[in-house]
Amino acid sequence: MKRQRWGVVVAVTLALCLGLIVGPAMAADEFKIGVITSLSGDLATGGSVTKRGYDLWAKAVNAAGGIEIKGKKYPVRLVYGDDQSQPAQAASAAERLAAQEKVDAVLGPYASGTTIAAAPVLEKYKVPMITGSAESPLIWKQKFRYTFGTIPPVNFTGSAVIKVLAALPQGPKTAVIYGTNDTFSKATAEAFQATAEQVGIKVLRFNILPPKQDMTPLMSAAKVLNPDLIAFGGHDEELVNLVKVLTQINFTPKALLMHYGVTEPAFAQALGKNANQVLGASVWTSSIQTKGSIGWPTAKAYYDSAVAEYPKDPPDYTQAASTAAGLVFQAALTQLGAAPPLDEASRTKLVEILEKLDVQTFYGRVKFATEGDYYHSNAGLTPLMVQILDGKEAVVAPPESAQAKLVYPLTPWDKR
Amino acid sequence: MLALLPQAIVDGVLLGGIYLTVAMGFSLAYGVLHVIDFAVGEWIMLGAFAGLAFTEWTHLDPLLSLPAIFVVFAAVGWMLQPLLQRVLSGSRGRPVLMALVFTFGLALAIRGSALTIFGIFTHSLNTALSQGSWHVSRGSFFLTVPFIRLAGLVYALAVIAVLNYLLKRTDFGLAVRAVAQHKEAAGLMGVDIRRTSAAVYGLYVGTSAMTGVFIGAIVSLNASMGPDLSLFAFFVVVLAGMGYLAGAPWAAFLLGLIQSFFLIYFNPSYVLLALFTILYLILLISPTGMFRRGV
Repeated sequence: MKRQRWGVVVAVTLALCLGLIVGPAMAADEFKIGVITSLSGDLATGGSVTKRGYDLWAKAVNAAGGIEIKGKKYPVRLVYGDDQSQPAQAASAAERLAAQEKVDAVLGPYASGTTIAAAPVLEKYKVPMITGSAESPLIWKQKFRYTFGTIPPVNFTGSAVIKVLAALPQGPKTAVIYGTNDTFSKATAEAFQATAEQVGIKVLRFNILPPKQDMTPLMSAAKVLNPDLIAFGGHDEELVNLVKVLTQINFTPKALLMHYGVTEPAFAQALGKNANQVLGASVWTSSIQTKGSIGWPTAKAYYDSAVAEYPKDPPDYTQAASTAAGLVFQAALTQLGAAPPLDEASRTKLVEILEKLDVQTFYGRVKFATEGDYYHSNAGLTPLMVQILDGKEAVVAPPESAQAKLVYPLTPWDKR
Repeated sequence: MLALLPQAIVDGVLLGGIYLTVAMGFSLAYGVLHVIDFAVGEWIMLGAFAGLAFTEWTHLDPLLSLPAIFVVFAAVGWMLQPLLQRVLSGSRGRPVLMALVFTFGLALAIRGSALTIFGIFTHSLNTALSQGSWHVSRGSFFLTVPFIRLAGLVYALAVIAVLNYLLKRTDFGLAVRAVAQHKEAAGLMGVDIRRTSAAVYGLYVGTSAMTGVFIGAIVSLNASMGPDLSLFAFFVVVLAGMGYLAGAPWAAFLLGLIQSFFLIYFNPSYVLLALFTILYLILLISPTGMFRRGV
């Protein structure tokens, strides 16, 4: 008798709870924004940068009460999916966020390979995604309607810096270019090569290498060719190794150009004085003069609030672009004026708004291209060339944003 | 491009030296204890971070930390080995496979803790030898030998020489070889198996940790560097013949030379393809390693 009564009590309680869970799905008090990024795996370094960017945005918008729709403020809740630095996991995370969590929008991955894997899934469920990171031109080639990016592709950024070097008096005339075989690094190296040939720099050697190769034999061969410029596309560990190899064989080219990873403090810390004068490409630094019409008013204001929250990790351009992705969603959702949860029609309308959006943020201008090679990426931004000087990154081109004078050619390693 | 030939050979030998530093401890552990230790890369990584910590606290050259690092890590290995022994002598399942799983789990645990404690960034160890190189150039003959890589090779050969002396000329070495040949019989002959095994494991962990300092100085170090190194140790030892310690230097140099020649003279994109094809062919012809002395 007693057991039966307990059974009834438990069953009724469960039924009530289920009712409570199912009931409120009808209307929501918050915007659910999914985040897919590399929280673990080889690319966790970069993934954590995007996470900081997205978290900073969510925190700021929630501190103001949320996004205002028809007089009511809806806070933002980020729902995370870890792609584990693998495309297959990114697709599976996208599936989970779209189908089970039913998010209103997605903030995208750090890496290009994972973005390309998640995009078709989100296309199927018609969930808009903005990635604050991925830079491979391959993403935009496939013309996913529901995917956008706040950073222009690497062939946009990389070609600009080669052109700056070529325009220097006594600029480099020969180059050796290598890249690692992953989506981003390969695109970087290919962009360097294509532009170099375009501006008349003779490319003596160009190859795409398997990851984490020992660069000594390659650089020993390069030393014989004596190129003016060595350009390399790769990730942080490989960049450090390359500089170390060059110091070990004592070969100093006139210019050493790399891309992402150069701007991280860890690079300069690991290499000490040998990191100085290395060149990189960027789209944002904390010292450029931007005026934000939404969110933080200036780049410096963003920098200050970022280091207040994360003192050991000053923001780089990927973190800034990630926060900007959040701000773009904020602007677009406000314009859309639909309360959460967003249905398919609203999400499609959101995409139309994103395509027409032209907004100034602390990060710079965000205006997505709607056709051509840079489709849905932020072709409204001006690339910057940076150089490590005194252990810190400094903008050296274009002239209107320059903080310091470009040092060219490199001081030989043994004379530092 | 004949002019590059001497450099290609030297680069290959030096690269082989690095592979040897990674593989020699692993080969010893397998040869004596018959355990495939997947944690070898993690011990190397911990040694590298220990070198980094040493430099940050004392502001001395990381290479000076080698004796201290050897002692500390050898002690760790000595104390850990009985645990491994328990797994190896278990009555359930296949002990050798269980030991493999145990070391794999150990590797995961060490790597996860390292990522949490040390973070994700790449560091570098700077020593007095880091930047110098010996350069000679006479007519069309030229050669550059970076000091730090030469130091790595010298270290590897020195350790091999010491191990060789230990194994062939001391009573301890006799005991170790006995345990490697037949554990039970050695026990019956009066060898203290537990102490000998613990000492071998301690030796292996200690040398691997010292290797970490060299890797950190020659290349770089980060918390995720373990798996690639474990893989290379495995390749060298399989090629040499598992359990055949004397084969390890030759296998390491062969792998280094193949890589170096391929990177300089052929299309670098296919270097891994070339490496593994050659490895595959050698093993096809001689499955017990290139000297046919493996297990």
